[in-house]
Amino acid sequence: MSEKSVIIIGAGIAGIQAALDLGDMGIKVHLVEKQSCIGGRMAQLDKTFPTLDCSICILAPKLSECYRHKNITLYTLSEVQKVEGSAGNFTVEVLKHPRYIKEGVCTNCGDCGVICPVRGVTNFFDADLATQSAAQIAFPAAVPPTYRINPEVCLYLNYGICGLCYNNCGADAIDFSMKESVLTLDNVGSIIIATGLDLAEDIHGLNVYGYHKYANVITAMELERLICASGPQDGHLSRLSDGKHPHKIAMLQCIDSRTQKGQQYCSSICCMYTTKEAIVAYEHDNTLETYVFYIDMRAGGKGFQKFLRRGAEEYNIKYIKSKISHIEVDDNDNPIITYDDLETGKVKQMTVDLAVLATCIIPSRSIEKLSKILGVNLNKYEYVDTNPFLPVETSVDGIFTCGCAREPMDIPRSVAEASGAAARAAEIIKGG
Amino acid sequence: MSFEPKILGFLCNWCSYAGADLAGVSRVQYPPNIRVIRVMCSGRVDPMFIFKALQVGADGVIVMGCHIGDCHYLEGNYEAVNKFAMTKKFLELIGLDNRIRLEWVSASEGTRYGAVVTEFTEYIKSLGPNPAKTDNTILNKLKAVDVAAATERMRSLVGRQRKITEQENVYGEKVPLEEFNAIFDGAIKDEYERAEIFLALEDKNKSVKELAKELDIDPSIVLEHLLILKQRMQVDFGEIIENTPIFVRM
Amino acid sequence: MSEEEKTEEEIRVGVFICHCGSNIGGYIDCKEVAERAKKLPNVVFTQDNLYTCSETGLAQIKNGIKEHNLNRIVVASCTPRTHEPLFRSCIEEAGLNPYLFNFVNIRDQNTWVHQKHTAEAFDKANELVKMGTAKASRLEALDKIIVDATPTALVIGGGISGITSALNLANQGFETHLVEKEAELGGNLRNLNRLFPTDQSASELLDGLKQKVSSNSKLTVYTSARVKSIEGFVGNYEIEVDQGGTVKELKIGIIIVAVGAVPFIPTGLLGYDGQKSITQNELEAKLKAGEAIPKNIVMVQCVGSRIEERKYCSSVCCMTALKNALAIKEKNPDANITILFRDLYTPGTHYEDYYRRTREAGVVFVEYAPEKMPALEGDKVKVHNEFLGEDILIPCDLLVLSVPLVSNDDNKDLAQMLKVPLEENGFFLEAHVKLRPMDFATDGVFVCGSAKWPVDITEAITQGYAAGSRASTIISHKTLEVEGATSSLPDYNRSLCTGCEVCITVCPYKAINKDENDEIVILQVLCKGCGVCGATCTNHAIVIRHFTDEQILSEILAFGGE
Repeated sequence: MSEKSVIIIGAGIAGIQAALDLGDMGIKVHLVEKQSCIGGRMAQLDKTFPTLDCSICILAPKLSECYRHKNITLYTLSEVQKVEGSAGNFTVEVLKHPRYIKEGVCTNCGDCGVICPVRGVTNFFDADLATQSAAQIAFPAAVPPTYRINPEVCLYLNYGICGLCYNNCGADAIDFSMKESVLTLDNVGSIIIATGLDLAEDIHGLNVYGYHKYANVITAMELERLICASGPQDGHLSRLSDGKHPHKIAMLQCIDSRTQKGQQYCSSICCMYTTKEAIVAYEHDNTLETYVFYIDMRAGGKGFQKFLRRGAEEYNIKYIKSKISHIEVDDNDNPIITYDDLETGKVKQMTVDLAVLATCIIPSRSIEKLSKILGVNLNKYEYVDTNPFLPVETSVDGIFTCGCAREPMDIPRSVAEASGAAARAAEIIKGG
Repeated sequence: MSFEPKILGFLCNWCSYAGADLAGVSRVQYPPNIRVIRVMCSGRVDPMFIFKALQVGADGVIVMGCHIGDCHYLEGNYEAVNKFAMTKKFLELIGLDNRIRLEWVSASEGTRYGAVVTEFTEYIKSLGPNPAKTDNTILNKLKAVDVAAATERMRSLVGRQRKITEQENVYGEKVPLEEFNAIFDGAIKDEYERAEIFLALEDKNKSVKELAKELDIDPSIVLEHLLILKQRMQVDFGEIIENTPIFVRM
Repeated sequence: MSEEEKTEEEIRVGVFICHCGSNIGGYIDCKEVAERAKKLPNVVFTQDNLYTCSETGLAQIKNGIKEHNLNRIVVASCTPRTHEPLFRSCIEEAGLNPYLFNFVNIRDQNTWVHQKHTAEAFDKANELVKMGTAKASRLEALDKIIVDATPTALVIGGGISGITSALNLANQGFETHLVEKEAELGGNLRNLNRLFPTDQSASELLDGLKQKVSSNSKLTVYTSARVKSIEGFVGNYEIEVDQGGTVKELKIGIIIVAVGAVPFIPTGLLGYDGQKSITQNELEAKLKAGEAIPKNIVMVQCVGSRIEERKYCSSVCCMTALKNALAIKEKNPDANITILFRDLYTPGTHYEDYYRRTREAGVVFVEYAPEKMPALEGDKVKVHNEFLGEDILIPCDLLVLSVPLVSNDDNKDLAQMLKVPLEENGFFLEAHVKLRPMDFATDGVFVCGSAKWPVDITEAITQGYAAGSRASTIISHKTLEVEGATSSLPDYNRSLCTGCEVCITVCPYKAINKDENDEIVILQVLCKGCGVCGATCTNHAIVIRHFTDEQILSEILAFGGE
């Protein structure tokens, strides 16, 4: 009779923390992730507030720990497709998509990526600002440290031609014969949903702000990748229209959030991350002026107010209480922001070099399908429905949730909640 | 080319090293002269480390720990204070006391770390290079100070200082700090002179008169020191030349 | 896997220089640093890696060890404070004792802080590698110390967070003790009327929890009790709990701090008098008691917070004001409620919805700037509104001040007892704000709820669970491993010990004693490795493992150019 295990769906920072806690308690964990690597959104960030820690620097040890932990099994390129049973005894079917490269054999040398003739494949990790080939890895420090062949664009898998990677792989790790496989995991005591977040721009056009219309109107995630030291511009921020360094940036809060026209709720983290991004950008160029257009500045977490003060006092950030009307551009592609200045009651315009939209975060797009498979209720905003006083419990006994799958929140809260969900899952496994 | 000082820093793991890391994370910029040795607690910094550093060419040595009351090991930094005070008193005898510093920097004081390092580096720069690097007399005095501070007596005094002055000595008496300091300062002077004598006998056996003249110490005091050193089995009588005993190192 | 002890053999040092992407590599020539390191004494292999901490980098270290028979490893990259455990585990997996590893900091304390002096940063990197390699050559294999872990827990503080934590641990099967200084459990929850965002009754929630607590056979509660003393260390605490004069001795494995926070008393602010100018807490007491509430209410946010003396935002006060406003409106739909605010803190889904509800119920929101605080003038409140550019006079029968939660006065005493730090506002300071939010730097002690930072009930609950989870990672096992880098008096130094006892005098943990033979004994499990005894020992008999005199002197000599 094998020991009871826990399945965690989603290997962002929340899923990873829950996995590590449970693993350290001696409980077996199956960590299921739909992408080819673990780390989620946190891996895409350059720095994190309020400490300005390098994100990948504090994340990488956790990724490694997860990968090497004797009680944690990682399933990447995988998704849960069926769940039966009840708390204490679930049976879960996991669908594993083929990687076409053998894990454990691949040495992460990158030769296949270099030799692959397919180019211009957008990389979700770089917010589609950079491209890669069909043989790809999300980012250099990715875990598992294994490349993958993208079946949507691979010439061999689609047309039966090429195969250069296969012929040139020094480790003999390429295997085009890999197929989808289904694993059945039984004796699962509890399940944790940690599917995290997607972004408003994934579902809405944001036309009124000129996104996808004007090259110098970008989203916060795009800015994050551009200022990231290991991002597509190596951290030297340049405009997408003409490659010039911007000296005047506008950050627009509450884009598609707190509005009847988009998401009605508050995205919670944007007030903090725009100051963070402005600070990081300023470090690269201290002639930078940043204007943050906001409705209410939300900084209630530990050290957050201090952080904002620093931004204003040391990093040339000015905060303007306002409501944005729309964005246009002038002849040089400079965004012109029309706004209601709430401190003076006047309608004003400001021309900047670059406009950054702090877009609302939304639940991962995978949650809709997953909620039906698990039978858990979603609330009207499509977050996993929980009672505020039973915060990690879903509508199904034995299935828990944490982090941005449940509610928009920052990394410290996600980490704490993940431990919280682990604690509840542990009660089932250990308490009996 | 202008003088760039070599600075050695001893940083405690929990506060000042963390503060230095925070300075890094926050990109606080400071002069590149400092080299850091990590210790777990500022109380780990043995005075001999500081003397050695000055002997091998440090122009400035800075010890950093947690703020008083916040030591990760509760009281380690109190011990650091006393050891550092002794180190400084010894270096005062030879004019090098301004080249060492003790500062408290907490884990959240990244900016302060940068400021402290900047100020100390600039201060040492203004003092010029450590004279022990080029002047053998001073180097020898430094060695004497090292030997003196390493005596059982000095280490015992500084190790018991807090207990004796804050609680009680073996007789159950609490010794007032001024009284302790008077004894302590006397010991510093005595041990330094003894160390000088001990080192002066390295190249050649010498008489009391010779030592007194060479080191500019009263002959009767030199004799007293020699007798103590004999008790400690560090020197002995060598030969006697014309009624004058010559002392030899053991 | 057995560890190959190669300390008697030839020392073979491997040096790995990390680029850390462009964090180091973008400023100095890491390849060249690796090249130069080849010439250092005892170095037989060097390599530069893009991210030494990545799976690829770790594999390169393991390969290096195997192929070149390395027995000392140096990594020059970020900081040991985050990455030392990772590299130690890595070399352990490759068969080396984890203490045969040394870390050289060439990023946080070099390239990041000398960005405009890259030539000097390069020189500094080389020198630091030299110093680090000198120490590494003298490192010795150390064994971890294994101690038993008592599978019991102590939770200090019986508010919502402490109760949640205690119940969770008890449900996991651990014998749990909950100590509360008041006569009843509940903390701040006892004084609340309703809870946002569901408007559920606070006493209902509390009663439900009390039931669960009293029916849990693994949970023992001590009310009107305080922790008197704490001895010991992780997995092995001996704790005295004083309950009205009776002292109970407990053997405890881990401790959770859940002592909460208290509402600020705004003496001298906005005419506070507890009658016409009251706090939200005092308002809730009135609502709970069913008292009549006057018609014209003005609430002021951020009273005593987000100011110079107290810069933080207490995060719960805006929702508290909205909640109380709605409660009043329910009783009296004609009530005129105005809320004066700076930034309204209603993040997320539920709270933003609640804000909308409150507006729709007719509560009026007027913004004010902190430079021009509102003032109570007789039966009116004067507030300056920037948008209008004028002062507004609002009729006010009752002024309600939203004040922050502040840390307990007795946090200091508890912090001292536990040997844990407080931050500048007196709240407990966790190990790492982002990645170890429930842990203290000291092993075995955890923190949750408003003891750490003002939080609402939802977060207090999740943090209570979280502390339970973190604690469980320790007491779920029968034994614990304790760091091997402790103080020792090795046999070969016995003759140097004169029995002077100065080491006993200076040890902060009382870890040194004399045994029945009058010999000095250092209790490894109590030793925290501070090294003060070693720096004090009159004859240099004591050896501070992993930070020995010889190792540190080698760093100093390397610094000097040797």
